[in-house]
Amino acid sequence: MSTLRLRGGRLYDPAHGIDGEVCDLGVRDGRIVALHENEPVDREHDVSGMIVMAGGIDLHSHIGGGKVNLARLLLPEDHRPAPRTDNPLELASCGACTPGTLATGYRYAEMGYTAAFEPAMALSNARHAHMEMGDTPILDHGAYVMLGNDELLLEMLAEGGDPALVRDYVGWAINAARAMGVKVVNPGGISAFKFNQRKLDVDEPHVQHRVTPRQVVHALARALTELAVPHPLHIHASNLGVAGNIASTLATIDALEGLRGHLTHVQFHSYGTEGPHKFSSAALALVEAVNAHPNVSIDVGQIIFGQTVTASGDTMTQIRNAALGSPRKWVGADIECDAGCGLVPFRYRDQSYVNALQWVIGLEIFLLANDPWRVVLTTDHPNGGPFTSYPHLIRLLMDKSFRDEQLARLHPEVAAHAALREIRRELTLYEIAIMTRAAPARLLGLADRGHLGVGAAADIAVYREDADREYMFRTPEYVFKDGELVARQGRIVATPVGGTHFVEPGFDGAIEQRIARYAEHHHALDFRNAAIGRDELCTCANGGQLLVTPCAVHGTNGT
Amino acid sequence: MTASPTPTDAPPLPWTCPFCALLCDGVALARGETLELRGSDCPKARQALAQQPADTAAATPTIDGRAASLDEALDAAARLLAGATLPLFAGLATDVAGIRSLYALASARDAILDHLLGDAIMASVRPLQDRGVYYTTLAEVRTRADLIVCFGTRPAERYPEFFRRIAPGEPRRREIVFVGTDTDPAAAGPDTELEAVPFAGDAFDTLALLNALAADRALAAPPPGPLAGLAARLQAARYAVIVWEPGASGAQGALVGEAINRLVGTLNARTRAASLALGGSQGGYTANQVVTWLSGLPLRTGLFRDGLRHDPWALATARVLAGRNADLLLWVSSFDPSATPPAADLPTIILGHAAMPPVAGAPQVFIPVATPGIGAAGHLFRLDGGVVVPLVQARDDGLPTVAAIAGAIAQRLAAPASGAGS
Ligand code: SF4
Ligand SMILES: [Zn+2]
Ligand SMILES: [Zn+2]
Repeated sequence: MSTLRLRGGRLYDPAHGIDGEVCDLGVRDGRIVALHENEPVDREHDVSGMIVMAGGIDLHSHIGGGKVNLARLLLPEDHRPAPRTDNPLELASCGACTPGTLATGYRYAEMGYTAAFEPAMALSNARHAHMEMGDTPILDHGAYVMLGNDELLLEMLAEGGDPALVRDYVGWAINAARAMGVKVVNPGGISAFKFNQRKLDVDEPHVQHRVTPRQVVHALARALTELAVPHPLHIHASNLGVAGNIASTLATIDALEGLRGHLTHVQFHSYGTEGPHKFSSAALALVEAVNAHPNVSIDVGQIIFGQTVTASGDTMTQIRNAALGSPRKWVGADIECDAGCGLVPFRYRDQSYVNALQWVIGLEIFLLANDPWRVVLTTDHPNGGPFTSYPHLIRLLMDKSFRDEQLARLHPEVAAHAALREIRRELTLYEIAIMTRAAPARLLGLADRGHLGVGAAADIAVYREDADREYMFRTPEYVFKDGELVARQGRIVATPVGGTHFVEPGFDGAIEQRIARYAEHHHALDFRNAAIGRDELCTCANGGQLLVTPCAVHGTNGT
Repeated sequence: MTASPTPTDAPPLPWTCPFCALLCDGVALARGETLELRGSDCPKARQALAQQPADTAAATPTIDGRAASLDEALDAAARLLAGATLPLFAGLATDVAGIRSLYALASARDAILDHLLGDAIMASVRPLQDRGVYYTTLAEVRTRADLIVCFGTRPAERYPEFFRRIAPGEPRRREIVFVGTDTDPAAAGPDTELEAVPFAGDAFDTLALLNALAADRALAAPPPGPLAGLAARLQAARYAVIVWEPGASGAQGALVGEAINRLVGTLNARTRAASLALGGSQGGYTANQVVTWLSGLPLRTGLFRDGLRHDPWALATARVLAGRNADLLLWVSSFDPSATPPAADLPTIILGHAAMPPVAGAPQVFIPVATPGIGAAGHLFRLDGGVVVPLVQARDDGLPTVAAIAGAIAQRLAAPASGAGS
């Protein structure tokens, strides 16, 4: 048994409405507990004057799997120079926009993050994704399996899409891949590109299966609702990056018909066609729709100026973007009748009208949305920029004058006309704590993460108060993972293996016959090996804890 | 260390074959005195199974040729590593767990990492790093390809089950064209048309012509008819797949790859096409994937004290040894007993197949290890890149895994004062 007390910190714990109250925090055996103030403890840290939050949770960050590893392969220049730290606890690992998994774990933890979720795990690549996440030290992790471009689901929908069949198939897939949720990427579009279709609007039929993205989105959202999977359907909507795509985004919200959905990297989906460049901000339209639809949550996918690489399952989009890449090279792939993969290196330039406006649109979405519980802070790492830019992004959101300074440096037309200039809002620490911890935990159904209440995992970040919020959030004073001190003033002091979050929705096993039959005719892996068992998951994930989140209808107790 | 034979009447074990990067997992293994493949006639698998010693008791560790206990061998290996300043970890023919474990050791000892098929692996990695690639996977080829071009390779020669693994599950017409080789009867099948198209000059000339034709560029002289016909069919195909073999494309394999990728890129502007590079056997793609995700850089990276450095040319095993840029060789080879370490006048630690013949020469520690998929379960990456196939243990032969050995050595290095184990 080991106990710990953090004495005198200012707590920001939005899950309990705690907004900067000075309060001690007790920990026993990795969990937050109520300790009597005189109770002796093994370790005590005086954190008076410091800010205490739950560990950060990134619910959308491409940290592991085939796509990410191809990005590393594609960009050796991203990993040069590659100094090693003097810290013997850190194994050799390098890279800026797609660091090695080891460096990814160290850099996240140093910043006070204790969990990250890979949003785009291909069913056929699930073992690989869990292996990379298992080799990402310190962080807990989980992944959303990509569905909606798998030929089998499209075939089912083309046959009429019996909801029970779809539900059982989705349930099987989540279990087989050991996923935390489901992401749909350009619904139907990745498959359509395999049939040489180059564009797919929300109500346009897939050239082969004659199914529309609207049908795909609705069917998946319904299946997840019936399976009682806590995380709503994670949606990368149609027409990413295209001017005027706000129409597709609004149509996608409409396709949900009130069912829960999480629209991801919405910045890339909030473009209008106004103005001299026929490219404009539709942030207001997006935010109005989100405000009006309590069933919808979002993460932003803010862009950050500089070099990165865009990594997406969306081959239909990436082949179009390849011409804009820098350096000029790209990787694409069609994968196992269930997915695709496209990687385009990209340099966001502040003097580019389009890039400057993308930057503005992301910030407008953050600052106009009225319910922070449905807005999550992301850069869609690495697509909008690396996760290491979060402290900079937080400062942009919390500091109007800093934001204005940055805005003034952008492409002059954007700097002069952006609606962002008129937005006075500065996010508070409480709101930042929601967008980086409490909201992602709630959207994932993690009852014991993202807050500081009794019984929660003792994933805790302690920051030294500083008016420069970037500085403050870059280097927390202390970071604890399950009660263990893992980083101290930006230096890693322990490297535990993180756990794997996943869900196990129930489904009717009869569906396996249909899947096995399909696999026999189309797949290249024996059906016996299609699903990852629990023991195998443990091996893949490097021996970390298996963290099962129960699937249960809201308001009832899971079993 | 005696294998416990399973009675021959036991039902065959559903098995994954680890002996080439196709990783056939629809087969089974009958386990008696010997291991026999069921569900495939693959000569490569049969030969590899025949090489598995029926009794691994004779396979003991050795130090400079003398039998030693495992603890003595581990101590000796730890001592050699502790004394080295420029270790080269090569061979690396093992599974995911093996590479994970070796990486921690390599990081602690600032080692260089390369694979025994490193030349072939780099021949597919380098064109990707230079220009990129559009590739496809087995299930896509199976389901979608109506034109398959085997460029300069007869895939079944090194991947015997290749054509069976990509055979359509339902009747579908398709063409398989061999460029620069004869047609391979192994590719025959219902609704399949086979054709051979000779090179026009060498592989590079041929690809240059195909690229020009596919892009509808004017040519100085009319191209050979068969090649022009092939270009037209590539343009007309619904989904064309160009199969090539980096390891069999000569010293300039990377340039062949680049030209193929360019051809695929041109085709993808109007129709659909993709490439498929055959390679990665003996855990080659596995080693490359795992090293890439852990370090951020592919094989042929040195985890040097002053920084990580990737150099696909200078950090090749042969060049490192020839340039005397290593003072210790750790050689890992757990699939093929004939994959012995290259001649090097260096202290050498071998984590080798139990049937590997003794290697004469330098001070040396040999530790026999289990073959993943025979003596141990494990995971390997298939030749199309993203699919990880689980391996099952075929029998308990008492041999330790590479992961266990690397872990035990690392433990000794971390606690040098502890001396010999019990
Ligand atoms: S083709 Fe390769 S994997 Fe398949 S049985 Fe033969 S050696 Fe084994
Ligand atoms: Zn996405
Ligand atoms: Zn993303």
